[in-house]
Amino acid sequence: EITLRSSDTHPEGYPTVVAVEAMGEMLEERSDGRICVEVFHSAQLGEEKDTIEQTQLGVIDLNRVSLGPFNNIIEETKVFSLPYIFRSTDHMHAVVDGEVGADILAEFSNHDLVGLAYFDGGSRSFYNSKKPITSVADIEGLKFRVMQSDVFVDMVDALGGNATPLPYGEVYSSIQTGVIDGAENNWPSFESSGHYEVAGYYTLDQHLIVPEVLVMSKTKMESLSAEDQALIRQAAKDAVPVMRDLWAKREKASEEKVRAAGVEIVDDIDKTPFIDAMDVVYEKHVTSDKLKDLVTRIRAVE
Amino acid sequence: MRKFVEKLSAVLDHVADLSIRIAGIGLFLMTVFIAWQVFGRFVLNDTPTWTETSSILIMGWFLLLGAAAGIREGNHLSFDVVLFLVNDKAKSVAFTISDFVVIAFGMGMVVYGLQLALKTWPTTIPNLGISGGVAFLALITGGALLVIYSVERLLRRAVGLPTTRFSDKLAEAD
Amino acid sequence: MELLVLFGTFTFLLLIGTPVAFCLGASSFATIAFIGLPPVVVFQRLNSGISVFALMAIPFFIYAGELMVRGDIARRLVALAGGIVGHLRGGLGQVNISASVLFGGISGSAAADATAIGGIMIPQMAERGYGRDYAVSVTVMSSIIALMLPPSHNLIIYSISAGGRLSIADLFTAGIIPGLVLAMSLMLVAWWIARRRGYPTERFPGFGVLAGLLINAVPGLILVAIIFGGVRSGIFTASESSCIAVVYAILVTIFAYRTLSWTAFVEATLNAVRTSSMVLLVIGSAAAFGWLLAYMRVPTALVEALKDVSDNPIIILLMLNVVLLLLGTFMDMSPLIVITTPIFLPVATAYGVDPVHFGIILILNLGIGLCTPPVGAVLFVGCAVGRVSVGQAMRSIVPFYIAAVATLMLVTYMPALSLWLPSLFH
Ligand code: NA
Ligand code: NA
Repeated sequence: EITLRSSDTHPEGYPTVVAVEAMGEMLEERSDGRICVEVFHSAQLGEEKDTIEQTQLGVIDLNRVSLGPFNNIIEETKVFSLPYIFRSTDHMHAVVDGEVGADILAEFSNHDLVGLAYFDGGSRSFYNSKKPITSVADIEGLKFRVMQSDVFVDMVDALGGNATPLPYGEVYSSIQTGVIDGAENNWPSFESSGHYEVAGYYTLDQHLIVPEVLVMSKTKMESLSAEDQALIRQAAKDAVPVMRDLWAKREKASEEKVRAAGVEIVDDIDKTPFIDAMDVVYEKHVTSDKLKDLVTRIRAVE
Repeated sequence: MRKFVEKLSAVLDHVADLSIRIAGIGLFLMTVFIAWQVFGRFVLNDTPTWTETSSILIMGWFLLLGAAAGIREGNHLSFDVVLFLVNDKAKSVAFTISDFVVIAFGMGMVVYGLQLALKTWPTTIPNLGISGGVAFLALITGGALLVIYSVERLLRRAVGLPTTRFSDKLAEAD
Repeated sequence: MELLVLFGTFTFLLLIGTPVAFCLGASSFATIAFIGLPPVVVFQRLNSGISVFALMAIPFFIYAGELMVRGDIARRLVALAGGIVGHLRGGLGQVNISASVLFGGISGSAAADATAIGGIMIPQMAERGYGRDYAVSVTVMSSIIALMLPPSHNLIIYSISAGGRLSIADLFTAGIIPGLVLAMSLMLVAWWIARRRGYPTERFPGFGVLAGLLINAVPGLILVAIIFGGVRSGIFTASESSCIAVVYAILVTIFAYRTLSWTAFVEATLNAVRTSSMVLLVIGSAAAFGWLLAYMRVPTALVEALKDVSDNPIIILLMLNVVLLLLGTFMDMSPLIVITTPIFLPVATAYGVDPVHFGIILILNLGIGLCTPPVGAVLFVGCAVGRVSVGQAMRSIVPFYIAAVATLMLVTYMPALSLWLPSLFH
C-alpha cells in the first residue's frame, strides 16, 4: 500500500537502477507486499539537481544521485570529489562503510533528506587520442574535456593540461576532429560512449573515485512507522552488495571490450607525482577546518 | 473609468516597450558571450567557464520578459478554431476566462518563484559564484508582468477597448 | 482521474483559446494541486525547462534567420535557384522549391521560409501567369523542407524532449536525405500541375550569368557550410554554431554588404525576441506537463495498451503517424514535439525504431500539420503573403499533400533514408 517513487538518471538495466529495483523486491517480500518501489529511470523526472529538490519537497521518495550536485548544498560532500583522495576502490569502500561515511550521510538530515546508502560511481581516469600517458609530463598541453566543476578544471590545470568544458554528447566528435585530445571517465562510460573508438590511450590513474548516494525524502521517511523505517534502511544497506557486484561485472565486461578493440592501457603508473601536483588544488578548495579534518581522517583509513 | 484605463495603457506601453528592448539587449549579450566562449577556446586556448552559465541566466530573463510582453501584443500561439464559430458575447467570455487563467499562472510564478529563490538562496551557481536563488528572479518578474498585463486586458475589455490576439493579426493579414 | 483533470483542463483551455503555453502550465498546476503534491514543482520544471544550454540554439537560429531575410541574403538564394532550375517545366514553381532547399540550410523555421521565399516568389509567379493558389501551395509545402535540413531548431527541441541524450549532429545529418526526397516529390507534383495548366518555363540564363548569381549567393551558402560543418565535425556545439551564424549574419549584412540598416537590425533583434520567447515559454510549460505525464506513467501505460493492439511495428508506426497527423492539424509544431516525444518515443523504441529515425518521422509529420487547416501556421502565413484565402489555396494543395504524405511513408518505412548518412560519420 506504500509506493516509493525513485528517480535515477541512468538507463534501464544500469547497475544503480537494478540495485534499487532489487531493494524494492526485498522490501516487498519483507513487508508482505505492503511496501514497493517504482523506479523512474533515464531522468524521466528530471536531472539530478531538480530531482534533489523534488526529493526535499517530498514529491518523490527515493533518489539515486551523484555527489557533485550536493557540493554546493552540503559542504562535507566536497571531500569525496577531491582528486586522488582515495588510493583505490577498496580504500573508497572502506571509507564510506566506516565512520567518515556514516558522518557525512548523517549531514543529509539537515537538508530535508535521509542518506540511506553509498553506491559506486566507478573510478575515472584519463584517455586521449595522442599518446600513452605514463607521467605528469605527458599531460602537458593536452586538451581534456572535464565536467562543469571548478575542482576538475583546477585539477587538469595543475597537471599541466588544458581543461575544456564541453557537453558530454559533443565529446566523441570533438576527439575525432582534434578539437580536444581526450577526456576522462570510468570503464563503462569509456566503452558505452564509444569514446574508445577515437581515443586509443587509457591511463588508469583513478584520479576520481566518487561514490554516489541513495537518499530518501525526510518528510516521507518520518510519515512511516518505526518498523517500516527500519525495513527501508535495512533494504537499502542490503542493496549495496548487489550494486557493487553488478558494478564490478559491468566494469569487467567494458574492460574486456575496450582491450579487445586494441586500446593501449597504462595500468602501472607511479601515482605519487600526480598526487603531489594536487597540492595547489587542495590548497584552493580545502579551506575549512571541517574539510581539512575529513581529508586527514580519510587518508588515515587503511 | 475609460479615461483611467487609457492612461494605464499608455504607461504600460512604455513598460512593455522598455522590457522588450531589455530582452533584445539580452539576446545580443548572449550572442557576445557565446561568441567569446568560442573565441576563447580556439584563439586564446583558454575556454571561459562563466559564459555558458551566465547566458542561460540571461536567456531566462529575455524569454520571460518577451513572453510577458507577448501577452500584451497578442503574440502567443493559441487554438482559435472554436472561437471562429461562436458569437462575440461567447468570445468575450472565453477571453476573460483565459485572462484569469494567465493571472493565476502568473501569480503562481511569483509566489512559487519566491519560494524557490528563498530556498536556493544559500547555494551558489558553479563558475559564477553568485547565489543560486538569482536563477528564479526572472520567473518572479515575468510572472508579475503577466499579472499586470492580463489585468490591463480585463480592464480594457470591461470598458469596451480592444485587446489584441494572435488570431487578430492573421485575420488582418488575410 | 488525475489524467482526466490534466487532459480535461488542457483541452478546455485550448478550446476557449487560452495561449498554448498557459494551457500546458495551468493544466499542470491544476493537476498537481488535485493530486496534493506541492505546486512549486510546476514552476521548478518550468524554470529548469528553459535553463538548458542547447535551447539557446532556438533564439540564435531565429535571430540569424531574421537578419538574413532583412539583409537580402534570401533574395540572392532565390536568384541562384532561378538560374539553376528556372528552365524546367513550371519553372518558377521549381525555383520556389529549390530556393527552399537553399534557404532551408540557413533557416530552421518553415514560417520564415514561407515569408522569405513566398514574399519574393509569389508576386513574380503571379506576374508570369501562375495561379496564386498554385504559387501559395508550392510556397507553403516546400517550406517544410526547412524543417528537415540542418539547422532545424525543431530537431533540437526534439533532442531535448528526448532527454537531451540524442546527438544533434546525427539528427541534423539524418534529415538531409528525407528533406531532399521531399523536395523531389514536390518538384514532381509542381511539374505535373504546371504541365496540365500550361505554365511557362524560364530561359536558361547561360553559365556566365549563373556564375554571377552563384557569387552573389556565396555569403548565404558559406553560412550553410559553417553551421552544418561546424556541428557535424564537433568544432562547435549546436548552440555555439547558431551563435556563430548570428555573428556571421551581422558581419555580412551590416559590414560587408551594408544591406541592413540600424533600424532593420533593431527590428530583427526585437522580432527574434518575440518569436523565440513564445516558443521557449511553450517548451518550459511543456516540461512541467511532461513531468506529470512521466509521474503518472502515461508513456508506460500507452506502450502496454498498444502492445495489446498489435505487436507489428509496421502497424504501430502507422498508428503513431495517423495520431500525429491528426494532432498536427489542430496544434502547432513545437508544443506537439515537447508533448508527444516523451509519450511516443518510448513506444517507438519499444518496437525497435531508432530514436534518430523517429525524430525525422516526427518532424516531417508535424511539418505537414503546419500546412493543414484548421490550425496551420505556415498555411496562414503563406495565404497572407500570397493574398489568397485558405479556401482558394486548397484548390491546388491536395496533390502536394499526397506527395508529402507519400514521402512521410517512405521515410517511415525506409529507416535507411534517415540513418544511412549519419552512419557514415561513425
Ligand atoms: Na533548416
Ligand atoms: Na497544424
